[in-house]
Amino acid sequence: MIAFDRVTYTYPGATQPVLRDVSFTVAQGEVALVVGPSGVGKSTLLRCLNGLAPHFSGGTLTGKVLVAGLDPVRESPRGMSRHVGFVFQDPEAQFVMDRVEDELAFALENAAIPLPEMDVRVETLLHWLDLAPLRARALTTLSGGEKQRVAIAAALASHPAVLALDEPTSQLDPQSAKEVLAALARLNVELGLTIVLAEHRLERVLPFADRLVYLRGLEAPVVGYPEEVLPHLELAPPVAVLGKALGWSPLPLSIEEALPFVQKMAVGEGEISPAILPHGGFPYLTTEDLTVVYNGLPAVRGVSVALYPGEVVALLGRNGAGKTTLLRALVGLVHPQEGKVRLGVRNVARLDVAEVCRQVGYLPQDPNALLFADTVLDELYITLRNHGLAPEDLTLAPETLLARLGLADKAQTYPRDLSVGERQRVALAAILVTQPGALLLDEPTRGLDYEAKQALLALLHEWRSAGMAILLVTHDVELAAQVADRALLMEAGQIVREGTPGAVLATTPLFHTQMARLFPGKGWLTVQEVLRYVTSPNGGIAPRA
Amino acid sequence: MIHATAWYIWLLAALSVLLGTRNPLYLIVLLAEMALVVEALYAPTGEKLRAPVAPGRFALFVVPAGALFNVLTTHTGATVLLRLPEAIPLLGGPLTLEGLVYGAINGLSLAALFTAFTVLNLAVPIRDLIRLAPRAFYPLAVVVSVAVTFVPTTLRQIQEVREAQAVRGRRMRGLRDWLPLFMPLLIGGLEHALQLAEALTARGFASSDAPFDAPRDQGVRYGLLGALLLLLTGGLLRLAWNLQVWGWLLMLLGAVLFGWALRRAGRSAPRSTYRRIPWTRADTLITLGAALTVIPLWLRAGAARLYSPYPALTLPLFDPWVGLAFLGLTLPVFQLYRARVAAAGAAL
Repeated sequence: MIAFDRVTYTYPGATQPVLRDVSFTVAQGEVALVVGPSGVGKSTLLRCLNGLAPHFSGGTLTGKVLVAGLDPVRESPRGMSRHVGFVFQDPEAQFVMDRVEDELAFALENAAIPLPEMDVRVETLLHWLDLAPLRARALTTLSGGEKQRVAIAAALASHPAVLALDEPTSQLDPQSAKEVLAALARLNVELGLTIVLAEHRLERVLPFADRLVYLRGLEAPVVGYPEEVLPHLELAPPVAVLGKALGWSPLPLSIEEALPFVQKMAVGEGEISPAILPHGGFPYLTTEDLTVVYNGLPAVRGVSVALYPGEVVALLGRNGAGKTTLLRALVGLVHPQEGKVRLGVRNVARLDVAEVCRQVGYLPQDPNALLFADTVLDELYITLRNHGLAPEDLTLAPETLLARLGLADKAQTYPRDLSVGERQRVALAAILVTQPGALLLDEPTRGLDYEAKQALLALLHEWRSAGMAILLVTHDVELAAQVADRALLMEAGQIVREGTPGAVLATTPLFHTQMARLFPGKGWLTVQEVLRYVTSPNGGIAPRA
Repeated sequence: MIHATAWYIWLLAALSVLLGTRNPLYLIVLLAEMALVVEALYAPTGEKLRAPVAPGRFALFVVPAGALFNVLTTHTGATVLLRLPEAIPLLGGPLTLEGLVYGAINGLSLAALFTAFTVLNLAVPIRDLIRLAPRAFYPLAVVVSVAVTFVPTTLRQIQEVREAQAVRGRRMRGLRDWLPLFMPLLIGGLEHALQLAEALTARGFASSDAPFDAPRDQGVRYGLLGALLLLLTGGLLRLAWNLQVWGWLLMLLGAVLFGWALRRAGRSAPRSTYRRIPWTRADTLITLGAALTVIPLWLRAGAARLYSPYPALTLPLFDPWVGLAFLGLTLPVFQLYRARVAAAGAAL
């Protein structure tokens, strides 16, 4: 169905090709997963499938691409639109209409499909993606997962043979991601649809993949069955990391595949973490019975939490649970209807946002909104000027902060020319330059590759050790398990569970890590915790008792 | 479901009365009635659907702002409230009660117009906006609809950028403080536009089976050219030589030729339409109600219609028949309520 033969693609003005000598094939009905670090060309590869590269982006493509027997370069994206459905990373950015069924019908009206056939196709799409109850809903009122399913349905309107998806679950909570992936699996099995997707969250998508395309930049890509490619990946899901550590063969891709290995092992009893860790000292930031109304609806309802210096707290919850509104209320961007936010002993409602943010760094979901200076270093100096601070007032010079964040060589670069991970670190530097005592991060790992995520993890550990209070809003349960001292679970605007990550994540099925699912009831969340109990002192596997 | 055409007639009627009166009492009544329609549009959907700017909030801003601007810049009127030193450019001079009232009426009028368009924005899906365009202009209609959906996106983006700057310590005190917002907003807008363009391309927007180098329809080309020439010549005959009959005749011929060319161009741009909404009795009632709203204002209201606080401030008159006729604009509320009851019944 898809054949890449020595494909090399160079963007206009670039000195190096982004794809170099890429060759692979995908048979009809297979699911191919494209993985690799940020900026390695995953999205570009997907765009080669329907001719967006080079027709839309310009640049030069050498080698041969064949999709459903057609050459996308010759056919152009317009011609390929009937054969390749494309779902972009941000579903909202691709909607043209304002209601679900109108969005699905858009491509069909455009292709002058007669009304009776259009009716049948729209009904089928609604059925395939479980969208029938939402058919008349305005797109702006849908959840993230629902929007993604509408985008998939719209891409399938012209009955393409291939569906390409660019990070389809990166913005979704675990439940929504599960729903989207289940829909894709159903389409793949029932319709024999060939699916190609790029994704960083391997633990979510690997079980569905028949073929892996691992792009490695300057090195030749590794292509093959998942179990063949997995050993080459630095970015492996926890279940594969555990398999590697314990010498399992073949490496498991999913919990189901790992279970037979676990059943043959001797597994000791874990230490269930205490429900709540005792705190000493005075909280840096507190909320007291906080209620915030957003868009006419109570987004935060009676929330009382405290954030202490030297701890990382993970705030988890589904899309629309009120997590972002809570963060915005903490820095005074929205005002509570009831209750108070206190910074130390001071009421945040009586302080200027700028004054609060000098002591509480807040990184919103989209770091791009923060960046507007000509150079990376200027971003830091602008923040200092806004706060009326001089570099001499600081214990950590802006240049040193950039070096600590691994951006020393980027100081004179235009921030928007950087990769996603680098831009995020610049945004972090721009808010951390005032050396605040607390840091609030909203989905900081969205779109980050493995390396960038590890770099962020290391920074979080370092800042926590330095006494910073960190509140981390994330859907990435594996990250939360690795870094958090405490976890809060939010539902419909309320904190419904609070405690150590072991107590919260291991007992909430929706937010189970892979290890929690593999070893239920043990309280283990990470591979390191598991290895502590299932390996013998000499490093071998403990025999079953 | 109210038909889009019924909504457009409703809007036309609302605009006619709003632009036809300066009586603050009539404007208040009309504003209140249209606010009811806005509320009714929110309620039955049960969704978190909201106008980008709430009409009430807009009214609360624009009425005092209009009054303040007018009182400070217009120094005419008999009832002087305060005198600013003449040395202050533009603002110096007497501040009068008449100026204040006149400005407030301006604000009221603007708020009512804004509410009328909010109704249309909430009630008519973009699909119907696109369907109103001739088939030949379909790509243009999609572009317009994209521009319409761009407004809330841009407003949200402004909010995000403003907040992002605030968390970096920027205080928004004057115009200069807003300038740094422009660059991220512009770049964000361009990025969004590019993403959408890419998505439209990937979905085969404006594609057809015709190859790129297919010959153009010469009939359409000559038809449009001929129509333009006829319209221009007709206009010239009327204005330059005062040949009204010949002028009108040529212009009519030009309009007919223009319509024919559009129709022919539409045939070469094939497109189908998904589910046309049928015209119902309720749509007829709403249309009639809207039409009846207009007539009494022009027949009965007389001097009360064009109220002015000048030369002397008086209380505006209120004709109860005109007020009663305005109720015609609230007919959609009943239809929306009926739809809500029917939907609730079906759910049970």
